[in-house]
Amino acid sequence: MKKITGYKNFGLLVGLVGLLIIAAIITPSMYSPSSLISMLRNNAIFGMLAVGEMFVLITGGIDISIGSILSLAGVVSAMQMSKHMELPTVVWVAVGLGVGLICGLVNGILIGKLKIVPMIATLGTMYIFRGMSFLVSGGEWLFPHQFTESFINCAAGKTFGLYNVIWFEVIVLVLAGVFMNVFTVGRRIFAIGTNVESAHVAGINDGNIKLVAYGICGALAGLCGMLYTANYAMCSYTMGEGYEMTAIAICILGGVAITGGRATIDGVIIGNLMMSVITYFISLLPGLSVWQDAIQGAIIIVAVLINVSMIKAADKRLLKERGALI
Amino acid sequence: MSGNANAPVRDLTAKESFKLSKFLVKWEMMLVYILILINVALIINKPGLYFSRGTIQAIIESGMDLSMLVLGMIFILMLGDIDVSCAANMILSAMVTGLMMDAGLPVILCVAGGVLTGGLCGAFNGFFVAYMKMPAVIVTIATSMLFRGIVKIVLDVNVLKNFPSFYTALAWSDIAGIPVAMIAFLLISLIFVLLLHKTTFGRRLYMIGNNPTVTTYSGINVEKTKMEVFIIMGLMAGLASIFFVGRMGGGVSSTMGTGYEMDAIAICVLGGVSTNGGKGKVYGPIIATFIMAFLIYTLGLMGVDANSRKIMTGIILIIAILIPNINREFWAGLKLKFVYNNNKNVEAINIKTQNEVKILKEEIAAIKKNADLSADKKAAKEKECLDKIATLQKRCKETTAALKTEQQEDNAAAKKRFAK
Repeated sequence: MKKITGYKNFGLLVGLVGLLIIAAIITPSMYSPSSLISMLRNNAIFGMLAVGEMFVLITGGIDISIGSILSLAGVVSAMQMSKHMELPTVVWVAVGLGVGLICGLVNGILIGKLKIVPMIATLGTMYIFRGMSFLVSGGEWLFPHQFTESFINCAAGKTFGLYNVIWFEVIVLVLAGVFMNVFTVGRRIFAIGTNVESAHVAGINDGNIKLVAYGICGALAGLCGMLYTANYAMCSYTMGEGYEMTAIAICILGGVAITGGRATIDGVIIGNLMMSVITYFISLLPGLSVWQDAIQGAIIIVAVLINVSMIKAADKRLLKERGALI
Repeated sequence: MSGNANAPVRDLTAKESFKLSKFLVKWEMMLVYILILINVALIINKPGLYFSRGTIQAIIESGMDLSMLVLGMIFILMLGDIDVSCAANMILSAMVTGLMMDAGLPVILCVAGGVLTGGLCGAFNGFFVAYMKMPAVIVTIATSMLFRGIVKIVLDVNVLKNFPSFYTALAWSDIAGIPVAMIAFLLISLIFVLLLHKTTFGRRLYMIGNNPTVTTYSGINVEKTKMEVFIIMGLMAGLASIFFVGRMGGGVSSTMGTGYEMDAIAICVLGGVSTNGGKGKVYGPIIATFIMAFLIYTLGLMGVDANSRKIMTGIILIIAILIPNINREFWAGLKLKFVYNNNKNVEAINIKTQNEVKILKEEIAAIKKNADLSADKKAAKEKECLDKIATLQKRCKETTAALKTEQQEDNAAAKKRFAK
C-alpha cells in the first residue's frame, strides 16, 4: 500500500480516476470502445508535442514555436506528396522529421549558442515559421482527394485495432522514456535544468545540450505536422495555431516543473490522458463548446498553482531530511 | 567605517558631461536613423504618395492602436517578466465597455468600467506572479486563454457595435495635420518617462530587474512593486481598448486582436528594452512604435503580403536582440576561435604584446611633440623605441609558433592514446 501511495505521480493518478468517474456519471455514452479510441486518436498528436515540449521545459526553457513548426513541416511534406505521388510514405515521414529538426536546431542555436531568452527567441521563430509555411503553401489548401491512400493510412489506418497515429505516440513515448532515463545525454538535460552552473563545472556543454533538447522538440513537432495532415487528410498553413499552449498545458498537468529539472514520462502520459478526457467530456456536453478556451485556461492556472506548491513542499521535505542527517 | 574620515567619498553631485560622439551612437539615435532610412526609402519609391496630403497621418494612425500596450509592456519587461495576455485583456475590456453601452449607462461610466476591468485583469495576473511566485509566461498564457475564453462565452459569434463616438474620433481625426491619437500617445508616454526616469518607483523597477534578491534584502517590497506594475499593464490594456476599438471602426468580436501582444513585445525589444530585465528606456520603444508603423506600411506599399510581414517581424525581433550581443567580447571570442586556434596562451601573449607596442607608440608620439629635445636626440630615442617594438613583435611570433606546435603535438599524442 505504501508503495502505491509513495508513487511520484499518485496525486495525478487520483485526479485522472476522479475525472473518469465524473465523466462516467454525467456522460455515460463516453465509455464505448470506439469513442475512447477516437478520443485517443484526436489527442495522440498533442501527446507527441507534449513530449517534445517536456524536453525543452526540463532545460528550464520554453518553446512556443512548435505550432508553427507543425504547420511548416505538415505543409512541406503534404504539398510535396501531392506533387510526387509515386514516392513511398516513409519519405514523407522523413521529410516531416527533417524539416522539424532543422527548425528545432534553429531555435537551439538561437537559445543555446547565441544565448537569447527562450521565450523571445521562439516568439520570433514562431512568426518566421508560420510565415514560411504560408509562403510554401502559397495560401492554398489540400483536400482529401489530393492525398495518396498510403499517406493517409500512415496515420489514419489501423493496426491491431488501433489507429497508426496512436502507435506512433506509443513508440515516441517509449523512446523518450528510455532516452531521458538511460542515456547520458538525457540525464545531462536534467542536469542543466536543475543547475546550469554546477552542470557547467561538471564539464557539460550546456549550449550543446540545449541544442539537443530543442532539436528533439522540433523534430517531434515536424513528425506531428506530417501525421496531422495524414490524420485529417487536410492541409492548410493555419493548422496548429495555439497547439503550443495545449502541449505546455499537458506538461504542466503532468507535473513537469516549469522552472526546469523535474519531469517524468509517466506524468506526461497521465497529463495527456487527463487533457483528452477533459476536452472530450466538454465536447460531449451540449452548448459547452464555447467554454473550451476558458476552461482550459482555468485548468492550467490551477495546475500550475498545485505544481508550484508541490515543488515547494518537496523542497521543504528534502531540507528537513538533510537537517535530520546533520 | 564611521571612524575612517579619509575614506574616499563618491561625488554624487558630479554629472557625466554631454558628449556629442556618444550621443550619436546611442541605441535611441540608431532607431531614429532607421526611421529616417525607412522614410527615405518610402520617398524614393512613392514620391507622389508620400507628399500627398494625409499619407503620413494615416501611417502614424495605423501604428497607434498598439502604442498603449507597448508602454505597459516596457515596465513588465523591465522586471524580467512577460505578459502575453494583454491582447486578450484589451478585448475583454472593450467587451465590458460595449456591454455597458448596450445597457444604456452613461458614457463616462462605460469607459471607466472598461479601463478598470483591464486593471482588474492585470491585478489577477499580478497576484499569481508576485504573491504565488508562478512564472509569468505560464500564468499569462493561461490567463490569455481565460480572458479570450470569457469573451467567447459572452459574445459567441456576435459583434458589439455600440461604442462611445469619441473612440473613432480619437483614432481617425487630426488637429492641424497632427493625429489626435499621436498627441494622446505622446502625452501618456510623457507620464511614463517621468515615472520611470524621475521617480523612486522607476529606480525600483531597474533594481528588481537586475537582481530581485538584493532588492528584497535592501528593504524594498518586491511583491508589491510587481503587483503595481501588473496593474499598470492591465490599466494600459484597458486604455488600449479605446484606441483599438476606434481603429477598428467601433466594433468588437472575440477573434479580434490576436497576436497584438507579440507585436507589442517585438516593439519593446526593438526599442532596446532587455528581456532579461533591468535595461532599457521609454524613449526607445516610443520611436520603435513609429518605426514599426512606417515599416509595415512601406512593406505593404511594396506589395509584400501580410504573412511575409510576419516573417519580417520575427527576423527584426531576433536581430534586435542579437545586436547588443555583438560587442568587444563577441569579437574576442571569434578571434580566439579562428585566429588563435582556441589556444588561450597564444591569445594572452598576443594581447600583451599589442598593449606593450601601443604604449611604446604613444611614447614615440610624445617624443615627437616634445620641444625641449634636439632633433638628433629625438631620432635616437625614436629608433630605440622602434627597435623595442620590433624585438617584442619578433618574440611574440616565436612564442606563438612554439605554443602552436606544442598544441599540435599534444593533440597528436592525445589522438594516439585514445586510438587504441
